[in-house]
Amino acid sequence: MNGWAGRILRVNLTRGDHSIEDLDPNLARDFVGGRGLASKFLFDEIDPRIDSFSPENKLLIATGPLTGTGAPSGGRTMVVTKSPLTGAIACSNMGGYFGSELKFAGYDMIILEGKSPAPVYLSITDDEVEIKPAQHIWGKRTRETEEIIKAEIEDKWKARETQVIRIGPAGENLVKLASIIYSYGAAARSGVGAVMGSKNLKAIAVRGTKGITIADGDGFKRETKASWDKVKGAKVTQRNLLYGTWDLIFMAKRLGGLSTKNYQAGELEELRDFDGRDVRKELFVESRSCFGCPRGTFKVTRVTAPEFQGEGMGPEFESWAQLGAQCGISNLAAVTKASYLCDELGMDTISTGVTIACAMELYERGYLPEKDVGYQLNFGSTKAMVELVEKIGLRQGFGDTLAEGAYQLAEKYGHPELFMGVKKQEMPAWHPQARQDTGLAYATANCGACHTRGILNVMEVQRETAGQAAGVKWGQDYIAIIDATGLCWSLWINQPESLEEIVTMLVTATGVRYNRESLLLAGERLWNLERLFNLKAGFTTGDDTLPKRILENPCLKGAAEGQVVRLDEMLPEYYELRGWDKNGVPTTEKLKQLGLF
Amino acid sequence: MVPKIKIDHTKCIACFACEIACSLHHTGTINPKRSRIRVFVDGDLSYPVIAGPHTDEECKTKDIITIDGKEYDGCALCRASCPVKPIFKEPDTGIPLTCDFCGQCVNWCPTEALTIIKD
Repeated sequence: MNGWAGRILRVNLTRGDHSIEDLDPNLARDFVGGRGLASKFLFDEIDPRIDSFSPENKLLIATGPLTGTGAPSGGRTMVVTKSPLTGAIACSNMGGYFGSELKFAGYDMIILEGKSPAPVYLSITDDEVEIKPAQHIWGKRTRETEEIIKAEIEDKWKARETQVIRIGPAGENLVKLASIIYSYGAAARSGVGAVMGSKNLKAIAVRGTKGITIADGDGFKRETKASWDKVKGAKVTQRNLLYGTWDLIFMAKRLGGLSTKNYQAGELEELRDFDGRDVRKELFVESRSCFGCPRGTFKVTRVTAPEFQGEGMGPEFESWAQLGAQCGISNLAAVTKASYLCDELGMDTISTGVTIACAMELYERGYLPEKDVGYQLNFGSTKAMVELVEKIGLRQGFGDTLAEGAYQLAEKYGHPELFMGVKKQEMPAWHPQARQDTGLAYATANCGACHTRGILNVMEVQRETAGQAAGVKWGQDYIAIIDATGLCWSLWINQPESLEEIVTMLVTATGVRYNRESLLLAGERLWNLERLFNLKAGFTTGDDTLPKRILENPCLKGAAEGQVVRLDEMLPEYYELRGWDKNGVPTTEKLKQLGLF
Repeated sequence: MVPKIKIDHTKCIACFACEIACSLHHTGTINPKRSRIRVFVDGDLSYPVIAGPHTDEECKTKDIITIDGKEYDGCALCRASCPVKPIFKEPDTGIPLTCDFCGQCVNWCPTEALTIIKD
């Protein structure tokens, strides 16, 4: 096959064996790859009602046909499973170099089944697949885990070429906020790291020496180079090289929608004069890219302030926002240290930040007693926030409660209305009251509230509900395509008119005669498949909603002042455009159209 | 007049576009292990190294190289295709790879870490 590697690696951790399957070209064509292909396999192979920590759950890691090819931002890989946080389908995206190396080893996807009787890690070198003991690494933080695994490779040259994804103590401790860590960040959301931990799988190391073959080499080079040059020359790329996602700080503040103090506000006074330039000045060391991407979004950073000293990556915008303003904290060094800790322990910074913020609000309102927390936990409690982050990863003290996520926390202390999320997943930093379409996107995302499912615009406040349903549906389907091909949402949402570019790169790489329509249909197919999974798991239209605060209490100042999300004006139209009935269930007609019936 | 490729490692963002472009151009497949340019990454350092002369024997002058106060394995930054290193060789046959200065890597480099100098 071209573009695709053409093979799937299936590993049974219970038995300790593996098999290699051919990728069915029809499945590849209809589901493309990445999030699409993995979701199809998960849907077919597990009962959506199972416990996410049971050995029956499967963890799938899937690249797309454009992963590793040099298509701009083509360094992405999807982790798909049933989430222990939401109970819904989880699809958590990661970048770096793992996916490309997996393709060079000759695989489009890994399917992890069962549960190992003892801690292990998976080692893949082309056709050689070994399950190796990991008892001696169990408990180690993520940086040390990678070092130990690489040191176990005798040939140091091969070790240099090996890519390692791994969980930290959080995943091992089944923290529901646990992530899977790669070189520059995490497959963070929905507790995918905890599923890996529940399988006693500490890490996956991969090295490959094969090549990705391209159907139309000259055509692909020409199209990809044109796309590449366009990205290279764009002004936004130059800014991205300097500031990465720190540039979003300025945009969130301009919107008046930087979620603050558990979504009670859209700005933090102490951050009035603060933006990405300040972050760069204080932290920046170097820019880094995912494999085959020209943008250099990642930032290697260093904190010199003695109390919070350290080095690592980021924090990215969401991490900075959720561990910072969301918790009423403006100390950049502390926020960065907390973000580094999340990386070392293997945790999602978004869910961690919002869960702590929820605790802070419960505390301030007198619902959460100090004796339970062990700290004074008003908003702005910087030291307590940093220490609690560590306690969550290690399930120590109050961290053990927080490790279950904000939904369980708010329920436990009798105030479920203070949980700021959808489908038990904490919301992103973009305050939904700033834009009606953001609210709809959060409410209807299949994986729970998410910043990478349907939001296309953060440039200005949006007060109109008319027409939002169509835009959100389109955005969701478009991003589904991006996630299936192995490309990165953060580049391609800036240029939705470039769907044609994606089509051409895909056609020249794979030789499959996609066009705009068939690709959008594939995106829609994936969206509906995820929906079917969730419906079988027990979700209903009642779960397509937002917190009461967002629907009823205006929290923002500035251009969005007085605005709540008028979901009831958008949801019925959204269902209709999706071809779903009044209960949000895909009609037979729609399923037949998508080939899912 | 053979073009020279100038390397400014401080601009390298470890995107590996050079490895993609080189292998695609020379082999028709995307395979970094067959690239005539390889980016050495170690912590903060990302340093493109261009495949140079082949030698049958391990050298006796291995050095530690210091960049910005940090020490690195000299072999990792050495251009030679030699018995000690698996890079700059075809992964299956071991046949040496040498850069022919075609300039594809320079074309693709997004940050001008690689530029052509013509004397």
